Amino acid sequence: MVVGDVATGTELAVVGAGPGGYVAAIRAAQLGVDTTLIEKDELGGTCLNVGCIPSKALIHATNVGYEADTAEEMGIHADVKVDMEQMVDWKDGVVDQLTSGVEKLCKANGVNIVHGRAEFAGENRLRVAHGGEGQGSETIEFEQCVVATGSRPIEIPGFAYDDDPVLDSTQLLALEQVPRSLVVVGGGYIGMELSTILAKMGCDVTVVEMMDDILPGYEEDVKRVVRKRAEELGVDFYFGQAAKGWERADDAGIVVTTENEDGEESTFDAEKAFVAVGRQPVLDTLNLDAAGLEPNEQGRLETDHTGETNVDGIFAIGDVAPGPQLAHKASKEGQVVAEVVAGEPAAMDYQAVPAAVFTDPEIATVGLTQAEAEEEGFTPAVGKFPFSASGRALTTNDHEGFVRIVADGDSGFILGAQIVGPEASELIAELGLAVEMGATLEDIAATIHTHPTLSEGVMEAAEHALGHAIHTLNR
Amino acid sequence: MALREFKLPDVGEGVAEGEIVDWLVEEGDTVTEDQPVAEVETDKAVVEVPSPYNGTVKQIHYPAGEVVKVGSVIVTFEIPDEAGDSEAAEPVVEEGAGAPEAEDATDAGTAESEAPSSSGRTFAPPSVRRLARELGVDLSTVSGSGPSGRVTEGDVRQAAEGGEREDESELTDAVERVEEDAEDAVERMDEEVEAEVPLGEQAAEHAEREKTLAAPATRKLAADEGVDLNAVPTDEERDGEAFVSPEAVTQYARAQREAKAAEERAESSSASATASSASAGEERVESRPYRGIRRTIGKQMAKSKYTAPHVSHHDTVDISDLVEVRAELKERAAEQDVKLTYLPFIMKAVVAALKENPILNSELREDDEEVLVKHYYNIGIAVATDAGLMVPVVKRVDEKGILELAEEVNELAAKARDRSITREEMQGGTFTLTNFGAIGGEYATPIINYPETAILGLGAIDERPVAEDGEVYARPTLPLSLSIDHRVIDGAEGAAFTNKVMEYLNNPTLLLLE
Repeated sequence: MVVGDVATGTELAVVGAGPGGYVAAIRAAQLGVDTTLIEKDELGGTCLNVGCIPSKALIHATNVGYEADTAEEMGIHADVKVDMEQMVDWKDGVVDQLTSGVEKLCKANGVNIVHGRAEFAGENRLRVAHGGEGQGSETIEFEQCVVATGSRPIEIPGFAYDDDPVLDSTQLLALEQVPRSLVVVGGGYIGMELSTILAKMGCDVTVVEMMDDILPGYEEDVKRVVRKRAEELGVDFYFGQAAKGWERADDAGIVVTTENEDGEESTFDAEKAFVAVGRQPVLDTLNLDAAGLEPNEQGRLETDHTGETNVDGIFAIGDVAPGPQLAHKASKEGQVVAEVVAGEPAAMDYQAVPAAVFTDPEIATVGLTQAEAEEEGFTPAVGKFPFSASGRALTTNDHEGFVRIVADGDSGFILGAQIVGPEASELIAELGLAVEMGATLEDIAATIHTHPTLSEGVMEAAEHALGHAIHTLNR
Repeated sequence: MALREFKLPDVGEGVAEGEIVDWLVEEGDTVTEDQPVAEVETDKAVVEVPSPYNGTVKQIHYPAGEVVKVGSVIVTFEIPDEAGDSEAAEPVVEEGAGAPEAEDATDAGTAESEAPSSSGRTFAPPSVRRLARELGVDLSTVSGSGPSGRVTEGDVRQAAEGGEREDESELTDAVERVEEDAEDAVERMDEEVEAEVPLGEQAAEHAEREKTLAAPATRKLAADEGVDLNAVPTDEERDGEAFVSPEAVTQYARAQREAKAAEERAESSSASATASSASAGEERVESRPYRGIRRTIGKQMAKSKYTAPHVSHHDTVDISDLVEVRAELKERAAEQDVKLTYLPFIMKAVVAALKENPILNSELREDDEEVLVKHYYNIGIAVATDAGLMVPVVKRVDEKGILELAEEVNELAAKARDRSITREEMQGGTFTLTNFGAIGGEYATPIINYPETAILGLGAIDERPVAEDGEVYARPTLPLSLSIDHRVIDGAEGAAFTNKVMEYLNNPTLLLLE
């Protein structure tokens, strides 16, 4: 400790103000815990600033333009002009509104906000370096601490994000002009979401992916719908290609070199390259040793069912904790640890963590797939409803995809669902609730759904699993 | 107007069910928020349940006397629409809308209570999973009584209460209900009164409509139950036609079954009544429900008796001086409107003796492997009430005077008898006194008020022969029976304590020093 540096005491220090951290801080403060929230950048974390919110804003804006531009079949003839700079401004406005909202909420709930980069200086001590020259630093002594530092894009060798034509997702979302062409390295969900919108904006997109398909972890028939649509939008896919390096081309563009498993090289030209090979937890800036913490092989902090690490009183949530990197998972964990810190009987309860991919069409999943259910020892009953049989989907001219429900064949309990199609991210909520509540196929089938809506597809899939679907053929 | 269902709330920590002792309102009554609508007796106490709404009582779902699980809908209120709420025309249901109640499902005969799946996953809604955590219940060990074996709030509370399996306890409840019904039937026969059970009444009450509206699921339920929908009584209407809810069908079906069963029982008891009158009624038995406070006392007694090895120590003390002192002070106390019994003196003597023998003012914590010796003196006084034994606790006896104690004991005893006593007033005791001599008798084996480790029983104060210097005198004496938990206290310590109590009672002026 610097001479004269007096540590500020707090009951709970939360490091990182993303959707996990700020929720934990607000909830803890609500429960009467004296809470300090430490953030090095803007409040809101990746999700609000450079992730979910800006990408979804751009996806929506792009879709508005694209739909207007392609609605001739419905008798709409529009000459759409996209002003990318204005669109980015609008997106930034949305982000600002949300981040300032988070700050207001924190303050209104009595959360003490400290700006700076934190690192451990002991088991109950954090050193916070304030940004900027001469801003100094301060020491915060805590009784309990939540590590919620989130994640950052993974850099692959040879593709540093500092180099101009190589972009990470943050940089791509801030572009003020649509590139003429783009090589996307990685066909995961971030790569696919942004490939789709850029293709709709008229960019010539090429995806190179090391694996043999897009969206690892999703089922073949789900991927197929998304891949087919992307191809219709003009996205080219090259699978089994590992990015090896790049060089600048004569026309100020970029040439990306890839290599397949036989060592054969290929090259891809474009104006820019976008690398989306995943995100890694941010723990290296925290001086974990000082607190006695150590990341596991996946670079995360192991936690127990209350979110507590191996060090008493230190918790980890969100992308630095095990599990999927999802904002809503982080938020829920934030609530749980706040309650644990306040002495309530809370625990992590991962019955159903939904996930959504905002491609065109959207994908949303919750709970178990058929294969996972079988692995868990169930004899699953599966029901499927294609949107091509949905009146509502046909009226919007958007009818690719399906709803699939996986249930326990013996009891009818809903175990999980996969939806690919229009509004999948919204439709999944009903099935998440079903899994949480222990609802059965009968419960969903017997619940009257509004007509004409896409949600009828959920009811129809349940009926299909029960063998009495009306609008599709029962097997 | 909108309908709001009101579920039996958690009326006390860890309480899973309660008996509706009395309804304080009737269907059609106007109620205001916080107005008591029912008296509910749990195994802890009788509490009043207040209305959460301003409105009118639309339907009362259980008759008085019924045991109802926490979380079951007991009343439907009709409340005025909120301004601007255009959707309120449809009946809305508060929280957990449509969540099937365990009881309804069971009654409808649709519950499957086998484990939900081979995977070992337990199906329960998030609120129930949280409750399980709060009550420290491992969900995977709870068998669900909900649809397809889903674990309900009631199941978790049941498990928390005593690890009883829900289906077993439901069985017990069912048996109790049947026993009670049988008792009712016999009594009715005896009194030559026509059958008049609330449920029977409902069963007798058939509607005769030509057209009835009901949801398809309700029609199926009616078909499954063998019930004619047009005969199910209902107050609800949709589009001007009578509308029947699944609850109404279930209730009607149950009422019909019970009425039928009561009829059969009545027939058979009529036959046996005739038979027994022939044999001068010698073999007549009466069945009484074993539940509520009686069952709690029973459980507590069994737990104490089978956990703590009881040893009893008996002695008798000559209280001639105490009788005089009390007689003198009684009049003074009466001037202050205080009824002075011997009890405050005995409490003082006990506290003095406890101070000298602190091990008797203790508690054994088996799990922590420690004996907690308490240096404060909260004396429980066992009081016989109509409902059974209750033990109000007089706190900090060492800090209070004789008159203060007298007043407090009288007040608590009165509250125990009229059952207005609160749970707090029965908690926190460190040592208990029980006065079994009130009716007569000398010695007994008091059961320790577990987890305390000792209890002192008082016999009847009476003139008994006392030998002194080779002569026998008639003197007022008090027989004492001390039970100790022999795991913690040895016989010698028990005897030393009793001797001390006797010393103070024999020479009450010593109490002046306390």
